[in-house]
Amino acid sequence: MKTIAKSRINEVLDILAKESKVLVPMKVNGVSKYTPWGSEGRIALEEVNTLLPPKDTLFPQTEKMYSYKMANQEITELNIHDDSAPQIIFGVRPCDMQSIKCMDDVFLTKSFVDDFYKNKREKLTTICIGCSRVAPTCFCDSMGVDPGRHEAADVQMYDLGNSYGIEAQTEAGQALLNKLQGLIQEQAGELTAVSCTLKVDTSGISDKLAKMFEHPIWKEVSRKCIGCGTCTYLCPTCYCFDMEIKNNGNEGYRFRCWDSCMFSEYSRMAGGHNPRPSKNERIRNRFLHKLEFFNERYGKNLCVGCGRCLSKCPVNVDITLFIDKIKEVAVDEPV
Amino acid sequence: MDVIEEQKWEPKILAFCCNWCSYSGADLAGLNRMKYPENIRILRVPCSARVNPQYILRAFQKGADGVLVAGCHPGDCHYSTGNYYTRRRFLIMKRLLEYSGIDPRRFQARWVSGAEAEKFRTTVTKLCEDIKAIGPNRKLRGLK
Amino acid sequence: MSDTTVKMRDIAKDLLDKGTVDYIIGWEKGRFSNQSPPAFITSAAHVGRLIWDEYCLAGTAKYLLDDKFPTGKIGIFARGCDARAINRLIQDGQINRENIYIVGICCSGMKDPATGNTAEKCQYCTHPNPIVNDILLGDPVPETNKPERFKAIEELERLSPDEKYEYWSKQFEKCIRCYACRNVCPACNCRECFVDQYRVGWQGKQNNEDENRLFGLTRVYHIADRCIECGECARACPMGLPLMELNRKLIKDINKLFGPYEASMDTETTPPLAKYNLEDIEEFM
Repeated sequence: MKTIAKSRINEVLDILAKESKVLVPMKVNGVSKYTPWGSEGRIALEEVNTLLPPKDTLFPQTEKMYSYKMANQEITELNIHDDSAPQIIFGVRPCDMQSIKCMDDVFLTKSFVDDFYKNKREKLTTICIGCSRVAPTCFCDSMGVDPGRHEAADVQMYDLGNSYGIEAQTEAGQALLNKLQGLIQEQAGELTAVSCTLKVDTSGISDKLAKMFEHPIWKEVSRKCIGCGTCTYLCPTCYCFDMEIKNNGNEGYRFRCWDSCMFSEYSRMAGGHNPRPSKNERIRNRFLHKLEFFNERYGKNLCVGCGRCLSKCPVNVDITLFIDKIKEVAVDEPV
Repeated sequence: MDVIEEQKWEPKILAFCCNWCSYSGADLAGLNRMKYPENIRILRVPCSARVNPQYILRAFQKGADGVLVAGCHPGDCHYSTGNYYTRRRFLIMKRLLEYSGIDPRRFQARWVSGAEAEKFRTTVTKLCEDIKAIGPNRKLRGLK
Repeated sequence: MSDTTVKMRDIAKDLLDKGTVDYIIGWEKGRFSNQSPPAFITSAAHVGRLIWDEYCLAGTAKYLLDDKFPTGKIGIFARGCDARAINRLIQDGQINRENIYIVGICCSGMKDPATGNTAEKCQYCTHPNPIVNDILLGDPVPETNKPERFKAIEELERLSPDEKYEYWSKQFEKCIRCYACRNVCPACNCRECFVDQYRVGWQGKQNNEDENRLFGLTRVYHIADRCIECGECARACPMGLPLMELNRKLIKDINKLFGPYEASMDTETTPPLAKYNLEDIEEFM
């Protein structure tokens, strides 16, 4: 198959960076995340996955929507922001590629197309690198993701030891490969399949959960949650956001920013009523969204098995233990 | 910043003045036609203890180059004990600001009584000169 | 340590059987061997879940806020840091001492799950023995003052203002505003936090270095004289911000300016910033 020597990756990135921003996994101040190639930091392709997911590329944590200027109670300027530009994201893992597919479902389908997301998505080229080893917290293959590859990526790469196997899966991917002609060689390469050590059985879970809205299990599962946003902000598929205005007298802007359903005031309404007043309801909402509601609406789980939440939660709330528990519990009987 | 902009730059200094002492002191300075720099924007508060230390951070974020908190002399607070709390709070806040990298000359706390018009004038004039010498504050300025 | 586990389970069984407590908060194993998250045992049949090992890092005290007016009593296993946290909550008027039954455990330190070395928060622990309890499991562990816990602060203080600013900029850039630090902190127990009042202008929801710094510095100032140095904030932070370097800076200054002080050693002593002394240091004349 076509390969590129690992020692020449810097050259690959330099070539790609000539025409668009290239985002690669880098360690910046101790945190691994997708950072523009050329900035300070150490490239971190050897890690199983980044700590911060790539969703920031398409759905930034803070995004200006429009800005305005006023004079005498009349609007004199109104700019709708579109800071989308060609981007290449290099080194996405199959689990995170699946998360991009989930976000595509949310922001591009079902009668409303989110322009902010769409503009960025159309200009994004994805280069997926299949996993050659797993972390103890990975469970993607239980969630329907193949750790070796993802068919939605524009370019698929495989870790072959000293080199990467590389193949285009779309036209955009082929155009990218054409730019790298000088660095691509033909080599025989053996793909070693890898599978996760952490396995969980999700068969039938959506249907079972659909009957468990009032089940007492939620109280038990939610008790130790501290209600922070760590799981939400590290999750590659979480997409809830809030919108706020920043006003400075006669000018300002509206922005949207990530929000977390784990925060107590997330569902608080004007007047003070909160339909999810306790952790009970909030944890129920989170797990049902991941494993049932999203499945009902879009036909896939909203959890891709990356394992970030269960490794970073300060009190180890674990979706895999939760799934195990659901399998055991009888729907009609209390826990 | 190019040279012309630098020459035109005037510091913005926010002064929290307690109503009973330092604001009266400032008022007295005005009555006596004492000149003090126009860079000072005075914000009248009932007592210096009203000043939430977070206001200092916000002031720097929103464009202040320097901040002054002025209150009554210890023992003379109109509310008896307010400025004792102010003293403790700003001893700590001043050190925290310094620790996070703000130049210590940018934040001052002073006791100015209602009769000390001259002290008010010298305090703000000196503060203004110090800040002109340091230059505009570029820290804590990302808020756009 | 397994001896303590047996004692934990025995006493939990006893308390639940006799109805002394409605439920008891302790620790159990997570999926992996380096995880011992909090557990809520509601019946004597489940006490087998309780565990005491070197990964019992999470604080238990904050969960008392979820049940401020219990029908019966709440049992809680408390190490040194948890006991001070309980005192903190009592002193801040958030819970009643009569509603809880504290089983004290003398703690010789926990391990960092990522490295297996002593957890950072435990390296500088000054009070491993619970100062308040209804019953004590195990023998007291030697206590030392640990003045070296201010060493990192002293080193930072020696940098120039620009270097300090650079250092903290790099840290606050990492912050994702998950509020894990606030939620695990026993001193952060306001019913409505200032960040949730965003319409008033205290805190913007944007995630950028300045808003993050505002959140960080304000939170640290709000808890200044009430911080019990449990280190949960830095442990919970998913981005690894060195939050204790901020908290300890304030504690160091408070000790120097207002006399030696340790928060929550009892529920009577007023914290320094809530009182004053006529002879305080005068710098503002």
